[in-house]
Amino acid sequence: MIKRLLAATSIITLCLASGASAAEKIEMWVRSGIGESFKKVVEAYNASHENQVAMTEVPFSELVQKYATAIAGGQAPDALSLDLIYTPAFAAAGQLEDLTDWAKALPYFNSLSPSHVKLGTYQDRIYGLPLSVETSIFAWNKDLYKKAGLDPEKAPTTWEEIEANAEKIRALGDDIYGFYFSGGGCGGCMIFTFTPLVWGSGADILSSDGKKATLDTPEMRKAVDIYRSMVKKDLVPASSASDNGVNFLTFTNGKIGQQSIGAFAIGTLVTENPDINFGVTLIPGVNGGTSSFAGGDNFVITKGTKKIDAVKEFLEYTYSMDGQKVMAKYGSLPTRGDIADKVLEGLDPRMQVGIKAIEVAKTPYTLQFNDLINSANGPWATFTNAAIYGDDVDGAFSNAQSEMQSIIDTGQ
Amino acid sequence: MAGSGPGKALPVRRRRRRHSQWRGLLYIAPAMALVIVFFVMPVLFTGWMSLHNWPLLGSPRWIGFNNYFRMANDGRFVSALRFTTYYTVIVTIAIFAVAFPLAIFVERHRRFVGAYRTIIFLPVVVGLASASLLWVWLANVDSGFIGPALKALGLVEKSPNLLATFDSAFFTIIVMVVWKIAGFTMIILLTGLQAIPSELTEAARIDGAGRWQRFRYLTLPLMRRTIALALIISVTGSILAFDQFYIMTSGGPQNRMISVVYYIFNQSFVSFNLGYGAALSIALLAILVIISVMQLRLLRVGEDRP
Repeated sequence: MIKRLLAATSIITLCLASGASAAEKIEMWVRSGIGESFKKVVEAYNASHENQVAMTEVPFSELVQKYATAIAGGQAPDALSLDLIYTPAFAAAGQLEDLTDWAKALPYFNSLSPSHVKLGTYQDRIYGLPLSVETSIFAWNKDLYKKAGLDPEKAPTTWEEIEANAEKIRALGDDIYGFYFSGGGCGGCMIFTFTPLVWGSGADILSSDGKKATLDTPEMRKAVDIYRSMVKKDLVPASSASDNGVNFLTFTNGKIGQQSIGAFAIGTLVTENPDINFGVTLIPGVNGGTSSFAGGDNFVITKGTKKIDAVKEFLEYTYSMDGQKVMAKYGSLPTRGDIADKVLEGLDPRMQVGIKAIEVAKTPYTLQFNDLINSANGPWATFTNAAIYGDDVDGAFSNAQSEMQSIIDTGQ
Repeated sequence: MAGSGPGKALPVRRRRRRHSQWRGLLYIAPAMALVIVFFVMPVLFTGWMSLHNWPLLGSPRWIGFNNYFRMANDGRFVSALRFTTYYTVIVTIAIFAVAFPLAIFVERHRRFVGAYRTIIFLPVVVGLASASLLWVWLANVDSGFIGPALKALGLVEKSPNLLATFDSAFFTIIVMVVWKIAGFTMIILLTGLQAIPSELTEAARIDGAGRWQRFRYLTLPLMRRTIALALIISVTGSILAFDQFYIMTSGGPQNRMISVVYYIFNQSFVSFNLGYGAALSIALLAILVIISVMQLRLLRVGEDRP
């Protein structure tokens, strides 16, 4: 009897012990402000798998330096959801695991979002794979349109129309505004929502090889004038002048008539603010045309992690039908082109606009993205605030132009 | 230490002195160890780093004094220095202008003086980062306190966004820092005030000195060392200011509130130039030492030993 009892307990112990040793715990970081999709896919994975993912959310503006210092200090997480524009810089520094062979063996490798794979590739080796895809789009609040006597189903196609609509919406009340943007030196927000105005009309802020700053174009002047005019007419809340990105999704409060947001926000709006009745369309250029910023995150693995198999298992799960569906439900566009239609089946039709934006979207490829664009104290962030809110537009243009050029030159 | 007396007793004394010197060294050894491990070694290492091109990722490369040459032509460093100087001067004057009257106010024995002291000192125990966050909310244009209160009182037509323009944002930060720091300076000044023997004040009064004369010719000279201490703490703290600009304005409207430490932070952890950041830190250390020495000289502390 005692023998049997001993045997039973030892078997149980053995089961527990082996169970514990087989299950890996993956440390993973993700940046804040990209919506719920990643959190939800982690939850779904943890519920259905033995390995577990421990997710840490890091403020988006600090993720790069936190990760870089963690690597330097040997405290880096196993994997990271890295803003795709940073993949070249980290791959170039030799801190990421080479995924080339494994990635190319995936049966759906060729249908993974091409711009992500391009940015994840450095010197013909693949270091990053798409995790989430997001594009910038223009959203309007249909209820406010209706109240202002506008056709709620008609998407605006020019900025003159947007401004005129904004004026009518502003007339609705003291705390109702026609337009919103995070203008307090948020470089990331403005490259995402504001540069499509000039991209759509054929201009750009950097030359195609990334070696010359081309900020001062007639298109950029016009885009600045449009935003300045809306600020001057009091169509934009005063808080926007000092919003460093914290309130990027102000549109969700239901008191903003129009705003350029990300496709992630569609998911957030649909699932968390179902009472907001909104439409989405592509962001118009200043002289016609449309454009968008193709952003999102690449999945990268820290070089030398011991849990690489578990990490790969997790990534394969996010690429599976189940994983893609969970992510799409919360606003991340499908990363796999081959099953995109199936994934979006039955989901909010507005997600299709986000997919359509991929065709016209751009992503700048530069190793100095942080210094030039994203840093709150970089030339682009400073420029957007100075040109739109400042008194000296010409000075803002010439300062930013020369500072961007000098950063590019010293980085060569 | 015993004065060296001439005569036969000398050898014994010297031995005893040597003995006590060893013992003294033993007593200060823990403190010395802390200073060496946490100050001297990091400073030496920073100096070593400043002679390299030291990226956050990748391997460092020796470049001699190039980081220091680069500093001389760095316009953004110069403007950071200019802003830090401006901030230090304004905030130090503001802190003393508030703390001195407060110290005189709470020095007298009056009813509830303990309560006054506590209330004025309370903000000091709030961390600077928490205080900054608190004031970000107070200054918020829509859901804050200051703007909406001004509007409710009818002083302004529209709630102003205090953090949107340089002047109002700078003013807000100065008010926040004074609110936060003045209590501490007040306590330092208070100890100086209380150290003045009341007989002296009495005597001056009998001699017919007025209120202002007593303050100017009695209180101020006797508080010289206390003022020097408060001044050095305040100036050093202001030159090292970072949290409030980082949290409240992220460098201010159009980058106009980048203090030197903020610039070092940006160079080191945003642009990943740890070597250049180290060189800037060494330069800042040198500046701080020079300023502190100058302040001690000007206030002639240490010369008039009784």
